[in-house]
Amino acid sequence: MNNKNRFALVSTLALLAALQAHADTSGKALVKGHEYMAVTNTPNNLHLIDLKTESVYKTCEMPDRFGPGTLFISPDKTRAYVLNNNYRDIYGVELDTCKQVFHARLAQKAGEDARSMFSFTVSADGKELYAVANPMQRAIDHYVVGEPRMQVYSTDAGLDAKLLRSFPVPRQSYVMQAADDGSLYLAGPDIYKIDPKTGERTVALASRNWQRPGYSAPDVLYFWPHQQPNRDFTLLYTAARFADEKQDPETAEYLYGYMNINLKTGKTEVRDFAPLTELYFTGLRSPKDPNLMYGVLNRLTKYDIAKQQLIKAQELDHSYYCIAFNHAGDKVYLAGTFNDIGIHDAESLEKIGSIKLPGGDMAVSTTQVFIR
Amino acid sequence: MKATRIWRYLSAGALAMTAFGVLQPALAADGKALLEAKCKVCHLPDDNGVQRRIGYQRKTPEGWLMTIARMQIMHGLEISDDDRRTLVKYLADTQGLAPAEAEGLRYAMERRLNTIEEFDTQSKEMCGRCHSPSRFALQRRTAKEWEHLVHFHLGQWPSLEYQAMSRDRDWLELALKEMVPTLAERYGLDDPAWSKWQQERPAPTALVGRWSFSGHMPTRGDLHGVMSVEGGEGDNFRISLDGRYADGKPFKGKGSAILFTGHEWRANVEIDGVAMRQVFSVVNGEMKGRMFETEHDERGLDFVAAKSDQARLLAVQPEFLKAGEEAELTLVGSGLSGKPDFGPGVQLVKVLEQSPERLVVKVRAAADAAPGSREVKLGKLSGPSLAVYKRIDEVKVVPGYAIARIGDNGGATPKVQGRFEAEGWATDAAGKAYRVGILPASWSVEPFNERAAEDEDVKFAGVMQKDGVFLPGDAGPNPARRMSTNNAGNLKVIAEVEDGGQTLKGEGQLIVTVQRWNNPPLP
Ligand code: HEC
Ligand code: HEC
Repeated sequence: MNNKNRFALVSTLALLAALQAHADTSGKALVKGHEYMAVTNTPNNLHLIDLKTESVYKTCEMPDRFGPGTLFISPDKTRAYVLNNNYRDIYGVELDTCKQVFHARLAQKAGEDARSMFSFTVSADGKELYAVANPMQRAIDHYVVGEPRMQVYSTDAGLDAKLLRSFPVPRQSYVMQAADDGSLYLAGPDIYKIDPKTGERTVALASRNWQRPGYSAPDVLYFWPHQQPNRDFTLLYTAARFADEKQDPETAEYLYGYMNINLKTGKTEVRDFAPLTELYFTGLRSPKDPNLMYGVLNRLTKYDIAKQQLIKAQELDHSYYCIAFNHAGDKVYLAGTFNDIGIHDAESLEKIGSIKLPGGDMAVSTTQVFIR
Repeated sequence: MKATRIWRYLSAGALAMTAFGVLQPALAADGKALLEAKCKVCHLPDDNGVQRRIGYQRKTPEGWLMTIARMQIMHGLEISDDDRRTLVKYLADTQGLAPAEAEGLRYAMERRLNTIEEFDTQSKEMCGRCHSPSRFALQRRTAKEWEHLVHFHLGQWPSLEYQAMSRDRDWLELALKEMVPTLAERYGLDDPAWSKWQQERPAPTALVGRWSFSGHMPTRGDLHGVMSVEGGEGDNFRISLDGRYADGKPFKGKGSAILFTGHEWRANVEIDGVAMRQVFSVVNGEMKGRMFETEHDERGLDFVAAKSDQARLLAVQPEFLKAGEEAELTLVGSGLSGKPDFGPGVQLVKVLEQSPERLVVKVRAAADAAPGSREVKLGKLSGPSLAVYKRIDEVKVVPGYAIARIGDNGGATPKVQGRFEAEGWATDAAGKAYRVGILPASWSVEPFNERAAEDEDVKFAGVMQKDGVFLPGDAGPNPARRMSTNNAGNLKVIAEVEDGGQTLKGEGQLIVTVQRWNNPPLP
C-alpha cells in the first residue's frame, strides 16, 4: 500500500527512458554455454541479460498488451513462452531471432473470455504446453463463469495454436510445472499431480487440506514459478502454529515455510523455515547450500532452515518481488516492481551492482536463469 | 472512460441539479422511453414483458447511478448526463427502496465513511472486503439477480478468488450456494414495505413550507435555523437556509433539491460560499440525514428538521447541564409553545426568547439534582433528553476509529481530514453509564504502536490542530522517510478534558493512509 505511489512515479520515469531510442538487438543469437536471465517488462519487452557481463544482451518486442509477463524457457533453451495480453494469451518466442513461433489464445469460442492466473508451463520434453484457462461467457446482458480447464497444446502448433485436448481442473489453480516423468504439478487449493494425457489427478501435497496437527491451514500467495537447475518447484507459505487445542490466534506462532516438489525425483517436502516477521513475495534455496533460504520483498534475508534462524538481512532501496540465483549460487538477482535488477552478493547480501532495463515496470514477472 | 474520472465528476452532486430551473423537470414518460431507447439494445424484454436484469432489481438513487455509470464504463453505453439523470430518477422512483428498507444503512449514502459496520462474518469476508456491505444491503433483487451479480464479479475480476479471504475457501461455491440464498432471503425483490410505501408516499407539494432544523457539526458545534422549501413540481425544489451556530455565527445559503422515491432528498446548496450536499430521508414531516461539503465529504453535520405544520421538539442545545450550575439552553423544534419541564432538580429561571421554532431559557440545576439522562418535555412534546451530571467519569474519542488520507501536493485528490470530538460519559445513581455530550478538549496524537514509533508516524503523517481536526500530510513518496515511503501512519488520538479539577483522557485510533483512487457514490 505504502509503495503504490512510488511505483506509479518510477514507472513513468522508466517509460520516458524507454522512449529513448535503443539499438535493435532482436537478431543477436544467444551464445551456447553462456548463462542468461530472461525477464519481461512494460510496455511489452522480453529481455535477455548476459549474466557474465550483467548487462542486457538483447530485447525482443512482444505483441499485444503486457501482463503478467510470466515466462518459461523451453527445455532446449531455444524459446521463451510468455503469458501476456492481460492473462489471456500465451506467446512462444525464438530466443535467437525474437521471432514469434507460437501463439495460443486461451478463449475457445465466441463471446468467451478466458484468463490464466500464472497457470501454464511447458513439458519436460518440450513437446507440449499446458495452460489452465478460467473461462467466462459474455451473454448480451449477463456473464456466466465457467469451469476451469487444462488446455494442452503441441509446442509446434504455430501462431494459431489449437487444442490437442483439454480436461477440467479445480478452481483457484495457479502456478504449475512439468516433471521429468511427464506428469504435471499444479498448485491450487492443494498441489495436484496430474497425468496430462488423461487428466487423472491425485493430491501430491495437501495445502488448504493439509493435516498438520496444531497448525492452521497454510496461506499461499505464490505466482513465481522459477525453473531451478536442480529441478525444484518451490512455493512459500505462511501458517499459524497454535499453542494448544484452543487454537487461539492470539497465542499462536506465525511461521514461514516452503513446499517443494523435485521434478526429477517426485520427492515432496513441506518445511517451516522461519518465524513470520516480515513478508516475502518470493523465496528460493541456495543452489550451493540447500539449507539456506533467501527471501525478498522489502528486505533481502537469508535463513538457516534447520535452525529456523535469520542469518542476515539487507535493507533495500525499494521493494523487489522476485529473487533468482546464478547457477554458481554466489549471486542473487532481485527483480520485479521497477525496471532495475539489483545484484547482491549471496554471502554478504550486500548490493554489488544493478542492471537497468529499457522499458518500465517488471511488475510480477518471473526471472528465469538458464544456460543456452 | 476511466472509473476514477467518472466518479470524481459524478459524486460531486450528480444526483441533484446545480441550478434550479435550468432543466426541465423529468417526466416519468421520458424515463420509460429512455429505458427503451438506451437500454433495450442489450436488455430485451422477457416473457413477462419486463426488461431483463433491469426489471428485477430495486435500489437507491446512488445505486442506480452506479449501475448506469458501469454500463457506460464497461459496456460502452452512450448517454448524456441529462438523460442519465432522468433515468436514475425514473428507476429510483419506480424501483427504489422504502424508508424502512434503507433504515440503519443510510450512513452509506450520507458518506459517514468512518462507520463501523455491523454485518455477519461471512458477508464481510465474502463481499465486504472490497466494498461496504451496504452496497448490497441497499439493494433488493430476485435470487436469479443475486446469482448474476456473483457471476459478474468473478467474470469481471478473475483474480477475486485468489485474493486473501477468497483463496482460503471455495469462493464461488460459497457465493452461489450460501451467499445467494442468504441475500435473496434478506434482500429479496418483493417486500411489503415497498408496496406499502408506494401507496402511502405523499405528493411532493406536501414538502413545501418552512422547516425548522437542528444540527451538529463535529469540531464546530451545534446549530439551528429554518429551511424554506419552495416548488415541488416534478419533485424539484428551491431551498434556502437561514441558521446560526451556537456561538452566533451565521449558517446561511441557497440551493436546489430533488426528491427521489418519494423520500430520498438530495440537494446541492451553497452555505456561506461553500458547496454542500444534503442527503436526507423525508418521512412524516421530518427530514433527517447529513449535510456535507461537496469536495470534502468528511466535513459535515448531522441534520434533523421538522415542518412548521407539525409540532415537534427536535433538540436541546447544549444537551447537558452540570449539577449546581446555571446555564442557557436552546430548545429547537416546530410549533413550540408553553414552558419546558426538565424534571426534578432543574429549575426554569427565565424564558429568554420564544418563537414556534426556538425557545431559549435560563435554567439552574440543583447541586443535588439526580445525575442521569432525562427526557425534556414541552407541553405534549418530548423526544430530546438532557444529561445532568456531577462529574465526568469517562471520555471517549468519537469516532473511536477513523481514517484520514494524504493528498494534494500537486495531485488531483484532496486530503481527507480526521475530525474528532470528546464525548463525556458519567454514571447515574444506579451505576449505569450515560452519555453527557460533546465537551471541549485539548488534542494530541501519539504513535499507535512500536512500529509507528519506529517509523516516526507522528512526525510525518500530519498535524493535529487545537480543534480536533487532523490535517494529514502531503501525498507522494517522502524522501525523508525510510524507503522513501509516503506519509501514511498509525496514530493514537488523545483527548484531554478538564472537569472539576481532574483531567480525563480519551483515546481513539487514526489510520492515515493513501488516497482513495476510486471514490464511488456508495463506499
Ligand atoms: C452494450 C450493452 C448494454 C447496454 C446498452 C446496457 N447494458 Fe446493462 N448490462 C450489460 C451487460 C453485459 C450486463 C452484465 C454485466 C454487468 O453486470 O455489468 C449488464 C447488467 C446490467 C444490470 C445488472 C447489474 C447488476 O448489478 O447485477 C442492470 C441493472 C443494467 N445492466 C441496467 C442497464 C440500464 C439501466 C441500461 C440503460 C441505461 C443498460 N443497462 C444498458 C450490457 C448493457
Ligand atoms: C474483489 C472485490 C469484490 C468482492 C469480493 C465483492 N465485490 Fe461487489 N463490487 C466490487 C466492485 C469493484 C464493484 C463496482 C463495479 C462498478 O464499477 O460498478 C462492485 C459492485 C457491487 C455491487 C453494485 C452492482 C450494481 O450495479 O448494482 C453490488 C450490489 C455488489 N458489488 C455486491 C457484492 C456481493 C454481494 C459480494 C459477495 C458475494 C461482492 N460484491 C463481493 C468488488 C467486489
